[in-house]
Amino acid sequence: MFSSKKSIIFKKTTLILSILTLSIGIALTGCSKSTATNKDNTTQKSLLVYAGAASKPPTEEAAKAFEKETGIRVDLIFGGSGTVLSQMELSKKGDLYFPGSSDFMEKAIQKKLVYPKTESRIVYLVNSINVQKGNPKNIHSLKDLTKPGIKIAIANPETVCVGLYATEIIDKTFTDQEKESFKKNLLNYTESCDKTATAISLKTVDAVIGWSVFQDWDPAKIENIPLKQNEIQRIGYIPIAVSTFSENKKLAQQFIDFLNSKEGKSIFKKYKYFATPEEATKYVGVKKPVGGEYKLNEEWINIGK
Amino acid sequence: MGMKKVSITFSFITLLFYLTLIFSLLSFISKDRFFEILFSERTLFSIKLSMTAAFVAVLLSFIIALPAAYALSRYEFFGKNFVDLILELPMIVSPAALGAILLLFFYNNLGTWIQGNIQQFVFTFYGIILAQFTTILGITIRMIKNGFDEIPSRYENAARTLGASSFQAFRSVSLPLCRRSILSTLIFAWAKAVGEFGATITLAGTMAMRTETLPVAIFMRLSVADIQGAVVLITILLAIGLFVLFIVRQVIGGKSNASN
Repeated sequence: MFSSKKSIIFKKTTLILSILTLSIGIALTGCSKSTATNKDNTTQKSLLVYAGAASKPPTEEAAKAFEKETGIRVDLIFGGSGTVLSQMELSKKGDLYFPGSSDFMEKAIQKKLVYPKTESRIVYLVNSINVQKGNPKNIHSLKDLTKPGIKIAIANPETVCVGLYATEIIDKTFTDQEKESFKKNLLNYTESCDKTATAISLKTVDAVIGWSVFQDWDPAKIENIPLKQNEIQRIGYIPIAVSTFSENKKLAQQFIDFLNSKEGKSIFKKYKYFATPEEATKYVGVKKPVGGEYKLNEEWINIGK
Repeated sequence: MGMKKVSITFSFITLLFYLTLIFSLLSFISKDRFFEILFSERTLFSIKLSMTAAFVAVLLSFIIALPAAYALSRYEFFGKNFVDLILELPMIVSPAALGAILLLFFYNNLGTWIQGNIQQFVFTFYGIILAQFTTILGITIRMIKNGFDEIPSRYENAARTLGASSFQAFRSVSLPLCRRSILSTLIFAWAKAVGEFGATITLAGTMAMRTETLPVAIFMRLSVADIQGAVVLITILLAIGLFVLFIVRQVIGGKSNASN
């Protein structure tokens, strides 16, 4: 009799637990489909910005300057451009999206997470070969990266804009044979833009194809070897846009306007970003397309085989 | 409520907690995408890579951990406290920091020499093994040592008085008595190695079909805001991990101290 009582208790417990688990499951599944409401809230006095980690120092400085001028606090969440986009999508919060490159803004637009009309280009970037300070491996041109024994890394072209730009440069500049030699030297892909610069700082590799601005992030350890005019394919840029989750679009727009003001631009200039496409063009020497798309060649995904 | 009911309730709360988390994944899964990703060459490679690297890392750490744990449990020696103290290092520093420490090691002269003359670790398969090995070695020693601590040394002494050498006493007395705790330690270490991410990505990079382990692949999916893809890979990692652990536990036949 005692054991039958026990089995009843056990069955009851199991039933209650199953119902509880199921209902939580249903509740969670249901929750994720609810949509956020967009309303203007004039009492809000702070902004939440999801930003790519690559431009952390100038973004932090710009946020402080904006707060000082307007009294509006800017909370910054840094991470990989895609990671913070996922965070914004899942948390259904945030006023602005400020990725490290243009391709992630395209994704945000496709996913309807930002208002396309509010998109604004803040700074511009130009590709460069980056080597260790003092250039110990005597790398003077893109072709030198095909020499045997040179260790190279690029950012993951599937996930990081500067990596995709690098593959385009190689695809369009090298012959098949040179490309093979380059791939032999290519040790691996780095996970982010800043880790690509770190690969040089920590002497993990001899050269990367990154941005010219890398040199200014760590001038004691990184040196630029400029690419030739015909090797550079396009000019990169960093955009910002108002999030569709923003509860105060006016305030968010105010921050974009600040970044585009003389004061805002000067902060990014201090960190050697190009403030206008003209400045970037002047550095390159000829006119190049700004942004735009390039479809990654499958061979860069299967390269590890 | 008796102790039994209270404790069982808590064990079910644990189950419920984790099930809730797993359920929250389901809303993001689409069937087509699931099978497409699961059977892609790339995912299968990641699965194989993660399993193989973890197996080698566990094997290597076991070779070192078994004698080291025995020494820490049985003998008094100079520097023992320091050895004991350092075991938790990988648990204290974050995985990403551990990866950075490894990278910085290879930045120094000794590390550069090793990479140039013995083996390239940074950005290679060996980097994955090293990252996983560094993560699990300390905790493997600690857990095996705890196993030895529970076996009174007088058992071995008895064997010695019957003529066994110190190695024979270890092999025929302590080792069999510790069998279960050693096996469960190795399972734990393997699970931890398979899930290792922070040190691996920092040291070994992210190249598909070369160093993209399952946890790295999950992170890369999140990096491109492909939430669905990430969820599919999380589910695969979870399913494989739990399946392997379940099978191993069945084979070993772990028994608790349950009286009824």
